[in-house]
Amino acid sequence: MRRYLPVAATVIRGAAQALGIVFLIFLLCRVVPGDVVDVLGLEGGLTADQAEAMRRELGIDKSLVDQFLDWSGGMLQGEFGRSLRYGVPVSGMLLHALPVSAMLAGGSFAIGLALALVLAVAATSTRSTVLDVAINALNIWSIAAPTFCVGFIGILVFSIWLGWLPVLGGVGMALVIIGLDNAGQLVKPLREELRECVSLPHVRTARAKGLAPMQVAVAHVLPAASPIVLALSGIVLANLVSGTITMEVLFGLPGLGSLALNAIHGRDYPVIMAAITVISVSLVVINTLVDIIARLIDPRMS
Amino acid sequence: MRFPAWYTSSITRGLQQQPAGLILAAATLIPIIAAALLAPLLGTYSPLAQDLLIRNHAPSWVHLLGTDHLGRDVLARLLDGGRTTLLVSTVGTLLAFVLGAGVGLLAVTFGRVSEALVFGFIDLVRAMPGTLLALLLIVALGSGALPLILALGLSFSPQIAYVARASYRREIARDYVRAARTFGGTRLHILGRHIVPNVAGALVTQVAIILPRCIVTESVLSFLGVGSSPDAPTWGRMISDAARSIQTAPHVLVAPLLALIILTICISIVGDHLRRGLDPVRSDDSAIGREARPA
Amino acid sequence: MKTYLPALRRRSFLVGASSLGLMAAAFPTLSLGQSGANVLRIGTLGLDTVDPHRHTGTIAVQQVYVEALTSIAPDGSVEPWLAEAIDARADGLAYTFKLRPNVHFHNGDTLTASDVVANFSRVKEKITGGWLVSAMEYVDSVEAPDELTVVVNMSAPYAPLLNLLSELWIVSPKSEGWDDTINRPIGTGPFTFGAWQPKDSFTAPAFDNYWVAGLPKVSALWFDIRDEADKALALQAGDLHIAMVSAEAAETIKAAGVANVDPLGDATWYFMAFNNRSARAPFDDIRVRQAIGHAIDKAAFMNFEAGPTAVTTNQMSKPGTFYFDQAMHDADPFKAPDLERARSLLAEAGVNPAEHTVRFVSWQEDYAQVIVQMVRQLGFQVEHAALDDVAAQQRLSGDDWDMNVMSSGPRSDIFLRYVRLMSNGPNPTLWGNIQNPALDAVIDAASKEVDSDKRRGLYLEAIQMVHDNMYFVVLGHAARLFATRHEVKDFKAGFSFSLNWASGGVAHASL
Repeated sequence: MRRYLPVAATVIRGAAQALGIVFLIFLLCRVVPGDVVDVLGLEGGLTADQAEAMRRELGIDKSLVDQFLDWSGGMLQGEFGRSLRYGVPVSGMLLHALPVSAMLAGGSFAIGLALALVLAVAATSTRSTVLDVAINALNIWSIAAPTFCVGFIGILVFSIWLGWLPVLGGVGMALVIIGLDNAGQLVKPLREELRECVSLPHVRTARAKGLAPMQVAVAHVLPAASPIVLALSGIVLANLVSGTITMEVLFGLPGLGSLALNAIHGRDYPVIMAAITVISVSLVVINTLVDIIARLIDPRMS
Repeated sequence: MRFPAWYTSSITRGLQQQPAGLILAAATLIPIIAAALLAPLLGTYSPLAQDLLIRNHAPSWVHLLGTDHLGRDVLARLLDGGRTTLLVSTVGTLLAFVLGAGVGLLAVTFGRVSEALVFGFIDLVRAMPGTLLALLLIVALGSGALPLILALGLSFSPQIAYVARASYRREIARDYVRAARTFGGTRLHILGRHIVPNVAGALVTQVAIILPRCIVTESVLSFLGVGSSPDAPTWGRMISDAARSIQTAPHVLVAPLLALIILTICISIVGDHLRRGLDPVRSDDSAIGREARPA
Repeated sequence: MKTYLPALRRRSFLVGASSLGLMAAAFPTLSLGQSGANVLRIGTLGLDTVDPHRHTGTIAVQQVYVEALTSIAPDGSVEPWLAEAIDARADGLAYTFKLRPNVHFHNGDTLTASDVVANFSRVKEKITGGWLVSAMEYVDSVEAPDELTVVVNMSAPYAPLLNLLSELWIVSPKSEGWDDTINRPIGTGPFTFGAWQPKDSFTAPAFDNYWVAGLPKVSALWFDIRDEADKALALQAGDLHIAMVSAEAAETIKAAGVANVDPLGDATWYFMAFNNRSARAPFDDIRVRQAIGHAIDKAAFMNFEAGPTAVTTNQMSKPGTFYFDQAMHDADPFKAPDLERARSLLAEAGVNPAEHTVRFVSWQEDYAQVIVQMVRQLGFQVEHAALDDVAAQQRLSGDDWDMNVMSSGPRSDIFLRYVRLMSNGPNPTLWGNIQNPALDAVIDAASKEVDSDKRRGLYLEAIQMVHDNMYFVVLGHAARLFATRHEVKDFKAGFSFSLNWASGGVAHASL
């Protein structure tokens, strides 16, 4: 039982954080100058009187406190409200965007993790200088080259010069680019960790038994390194959730990031709030889950 | 974009083992910085002068890197943009440093309640999607360099605050601080007299990590359309502006793109070596590592 | 329970993680949009709202599922659409519309006069914003003497009415949300309202029972309505059949030989305006404004923005159209840049430009930088704020700015351009919030003038007042370009962004 207390504490902490985030975002949204009626009136369809009438109709002339109570009341019932700009339910817009972002984040994370594991294990078992250089290069690349820059290079080379891929909906290219970026972030610490694990007693025993280096790496070194893989994965995944936004914009993918971006430019408060809330809450959930799994697989932490 | 120090230090650890890399990086970085700072003195073209008759011209002897979609000299803009890029990200980093270290150290100095409150808030900010938050902040503050710097400073200050807290805890437990307390030093006195000088090294090393990430973040914000003003473009803004002519004039895009990547790579490498030089003992196990590292 | 589990879990965690990696390799690429042999794919501007009566902005999509009594032909003239014949009384106080028989709504109902009356009433009573609201102020009553006749009685003559009715979409009163906000419009168009994702995509399946036999020819329309996407490349790659493209991209597309590029009938017009409500010195001095006017190279600006299709002029109507005046055009003092004249005007006003900073506002458009640089060349300091739509709107409605450069899109009637210059008009900020009762009166009189020649005279009088006061400088007109791939037959861009009108549009297009 004692083991589960910290888990419960983690969950409660996560929930409190999520709540605080929602409130902060609400405040930030309202500091932004201009509102949705300004957006609707841009083309000249609204006189000043009509604009005021519309503000009343949409309820954005009420006090901030009232608006927050209205909104959070709706949220508690699982109701995100309607887009001020388009009049459609926000939940529908979220449901459309969520799979795109989840696919981008999940797919590229999987690519990154797989590539990092393969490279790190191979480097641990073979001691190849070429591999080490490759790992270093990939790592520096991921620190220094923003994904959208790599995206431009990709479009330039593959879509324009070689004429291979359509520019719109370049999901494949986006996945590979973020995947490589993730691999670069993961591979270096992973390699270091595996190197340290090689000197653990049970690994040395396995080597003494005459197992092949690759077998040792997969059967003994990797499991020993799993807590660090988990911790790293948490960090990389957390960055991914907001990090895919540039790829969404560049390749025109209708995910949560571009939904939020459009909503910010259109001052569509319910959509901004909903999108950022969903992203933030999933961040908190990921962190909490990673924390819990780490405690469960690694008794040293409890 | 936010990593605990043990993570980033292990990322860059590989860079430290190659002095050849350092020399190469420094040799690239010094001319870049010099050229950017001295751009007005080099006095070739004005970065704003337009010639609409020579739009999107390819590189030639007259315009070494060609012209952009407004007929402006790409090289002149690259140099000028380099200065803005370096300025915005350096001041952003400094702001993050002052803000993070100041708030972090004061919060821990004034006891458990202030620490819990301040760091509770920082935890909150860190749990939000950074890019979107910075974006919202800039839209709220208006366009131009100042809001950009503010957003960068605010985005990166939490990380400094964590390092400040960890360093504080390490120092406060040491014998000389205990001695100072027994002699009746006030909290603020001990902070200023004993702790700040001793944690400064660990904090300064963070600058080396944050600076390249400030540059990258700035370019992302510019790409998303909330960056610097068109009159004083950063490389990030130049990239997103040039994207519109990606098909007809790729050279306008490639120039700032490569410049940005080369700059961040070099700063990462040089910064990391500086970090080791400044803080040889602690770089590998900064206290936050002990805190956040699961094993 | 806790002794041997960890190792096992670690391993299974890693197995799970690597199988995830394998899955990613086999991940099917996300299919964007509806595919299918007979689907026409179009890249254009977006949709604001599902409720056809509540639109306030540019409408580019909804004409394919809802239609109106009138439509605008590619040459800008009004043509009867759901109305078969229109009779306007000479005094401009009554209009009689004879409806087309056997027009079907998407739910199978036949369109009747009472449906039309219901639509007029809904707009008049329920809608708070949009172009039609002002027009409805002059509509006294709407009657349906028989099944297919609608009579509109006016309280005062209102010249733009027939043009504006092309945007009063006739929706079945049985549409879901009629009493509040329509969320599934039932129209009479050749296509039905399918699925809409704001700023992403819109699908419109063909309507089998359309009132024109044999139309539409394709099975559905799919719209790419993303803002940021480069539609020209997608068109070239064959992902889109029809797309709005920039002048620069149009050249590449023509060179590639994959598509025809046609301009819309009506143009977007560009202007440089001063703050007219709260001008500060020295920008309140007409000589300073004229000096800046002389520093501008209209031809270079328009050529930058729109290439060979652009025209320069000093009027809000495009050369060659009814409301355009050649003599006024020829007399434009700012036809070509004249820096010497500009400098002598500044000297006359006693203004040293180097001592003044122009607070310049624009959208995040490249063309603004061209004008800013021209103002700089005259010697002024310029503090250029390139803002997003709303932030620019906010800034312009305040007092702390001096100049802007902006553009305004196609409109169904010339009045919709002039109404923006009225002190109580819709969103007059772009033109610097002009406060001139005399100008208001002239524009109001023009809108009530039944005789078209006299109306033209009044509008010309209004633009002359703009010139005399240097409220703003018209730079020129450039039509938006639509590229249509060669495999699309029988489609050519129309007057405005609308893709469906009485005499043409996507209903006729085939692949």
